[in-house]
Amino acid sequence: MTAEIRNDVIVATEHIKAPPEVVFPYFTDPALIVTWIGDRAELDPQPGGVFSLGMGETVARGAYITVEPPYRVVFSWGVPGDETLPPGGSTVEVVLTPDGDDTMVVLTHRGVPSTHLDTHRAGWEHQLGLLRGAAG
Amino acid sequence: MAERKQSTPAAPDAVLRALADPHRRQILRLVKHSELPAGQIAASFTLTQQAVSQHIGVLKQAGLLTERREGTRRLYTLRHEALDPVRELLSEFWPDALSRLKKAVETAHPRPPKR
Repeated sequence: MTAEIRNDVIVATEHIKAPPEVVFPYFTDPALIVTWIGDRAELDPQPGGVFSLGMGETVARGAYITVEPPYRVVFSWGVPGDETLPPGGSTVEVVLTPDGDDTMVVLTHRGVPSTHLDTHRAGWEHQLGLLRGAAG
Repeated sequence: MAERKQSTPAAPDAVLRALADPHRRQILRLVKHSELPAGQIAASFTLTQQAVSQHIGVLKQAGLLTERREGTRRLYTLRHEALDPVRELLSEFWPDALSRLKKAVETAHPRPPKR
């Protein structure tokens, strides 16, 4: 498991002992996604379909942009009512690559506000909210 | 590869708690590029001077403000490096999530033992 944070892009990777066909629904099925992130989800996995993930008091909301089972899914990510990080304010691309019988997951989050104060305020407030939610 | 500063002694908790208040974030925004006296910071708020002083105290405790005295005045500026632990935490958000994904998938779909 590695992570790289460069400018406004976060890249995280993970190796999972299951094929992409098994892993993919964990990004599109509300009952499966909450087994690893968030505590409630509303997902409509088709281009333009809603992506909504509740994490404690915070809700990440966006829309599916690309849905190509079982190898690639892209969705936008933001906070409703937040002018500087609106739903669709950043995008998460997940690529599942077969590795024998396993899967390499590469997740790229683009448009992530920097934690520095001279960028989007609500951005890092949002991220802090996510942290609190994820920690709980 | 991610740079992990294992030696960072300060837990990010105090910084996160300090950042969890909108007035305190506003103070940090005021002093992020310029050094300001306490009075001028307080003048930007509808809060009492005492309340603003308390917020400044919390920010100082968390290491987010540098204080400098000039005669009777106290001047404050943001200590940018105090935000580093928070940045590190944020960089762990997705890797942590993917670790949980791996666990969830592999628990739900255990591999049959190899023959």
